[in-house]
Amino acid sequence: MDLKEIQNLIKFVAKSGASEVKLEMDDVKITIRTGSDSETTIVQQVPVQASAPVVQQQVPAPVPVAAPEAPAAPAASSDDSKYITIKSPIIGTFYRKPSPDKPVFVEVGTDIKEGDVLCVIEAMKLFNEIESEVTGKIVKVLVDDASPVEFDQPLFLVDPS
Amino acid sequence: MYIIKLDAIGSTNAYLKELTLTSIPQDYTVVVSEHQTNGRGQMGTKWETEAGKNLTVSVFKKISKLNIQEQFYISMCVSLAITETLRKFQIKQLRIKWPNDILSANKKICGILIENIIKNNYMVGSIIGIGLNINQKFFNDLSQASSLSLLTGIIYSKEEILSEILKQIQFYFDLLESGKKSFIKNKYENQLFRMNKPSTFKLNNDETLSGIIKGIDNVGKLIIWTEDEIFRTFDLKEIKLLY
Repeated sequence: MDLKEIQNLIKFVAKSGASEVKLEMDDVKITIRTGSDSETTIVQQVPVQASAPVVQQQVPAPVPVAAPEAPAAPAASSDDSKYITIKSPIIGTFYRKPSPDKPVFVEVGTDIKEGDVLCVIEAMKLFNEIESEVTGKIVKVLVDDASPVEFDQPLFLVDPS
Repeated sequence: MYIIKLDAIGSTNAYLKELTLTSIPQDYTVVVSEHQTNGRGQMGTKWETEAGKNLTVSVFKKISKLNIQEQFYISMCVSLAITETLRKFQIKQLRIKWPNDILSANKKICGILIENIIKNNYMVGSIIGIGLNINQKFFNDLSQASSLSLLTGIIYSKEEILSEILKQIQFYFDLLESGKKSFIKNKYENQLFRMNKPSTFKLNNDETLSGIIKGIDNVGKLIIWTEDEIFRTFDLKEIKLLY
């Protein structure tokens, strides 16, 4: 993939309003994130083969980003790629506790296993307990308690190792 | 249908949820309690009820064919089951206040709280909690609340009302399972409180908005035709109808 193609891809993603696009081809892996807190789009180009030397390029965005409403995660550090992102299956309000007077379901450092409840998403007065599909450790909580979330918005980063 | 009757419980929904932890219950498992001491509404709110006077019931419904994005249909089915039941008991001026409060003569008489059971991003069941004010005569600090008995002067049999509600819930879920989604949505919108009437709303930034409720979208957001002549949709936390 040449620079021109990457630039076109960035433009396309920025216009689409998507907050994150991941693309994996033969030997390249690209993650494009758009964010309201940074005016630029970050592209990482990382060889997929573990044996290859690590190459990282950061290309400033050629166009201003149409920032989505959702608070975007800060630009990815290459470390995050080994983590699993748990996303919201539905739009609604994100709650970290079963009720305001109870402790949070999980916090950074909590060991979780498949089936553990991570949060509640309330959608138009329907309550959805979101269970983990993976076993691992919570590395990051990406959304504040009681704030709105969109469909597919990342909620947690989990280290599966 | 499998009905569990209790004298008193914290919350019928919580009781039913405990049951689902060991195994998925039989479809239409019902828990009804004479008294509920720790009833819940929206996150952080309470549903208070006088012992023995009202209906506090939870129903477990298996969900198999519904996409998680379409869960508001569960709410619509339950709201319609309640209004249909109350119509049979000659309760007048029934409306559904979005998303699912049941009103008669502008007073709230019934609240619904639904908790979904999701496994691997698929819906497997719903715990449907219904609090219907039946024979309670006094409400502290709740000027917008009422009961069937307050509205009509009649003392009702809770059992008769419950059995009709359960019948109606089955009827509407049968419709949903046979794919009659647009029928359900139309019927729900036709009973929406303030539908097609100019109304005032308070937004979560404290601004007021004038507009007309035109219905709901597929995820259950409220669609309002505003003064600026545009359609806007709102989530539950973003807007409050002033009435």
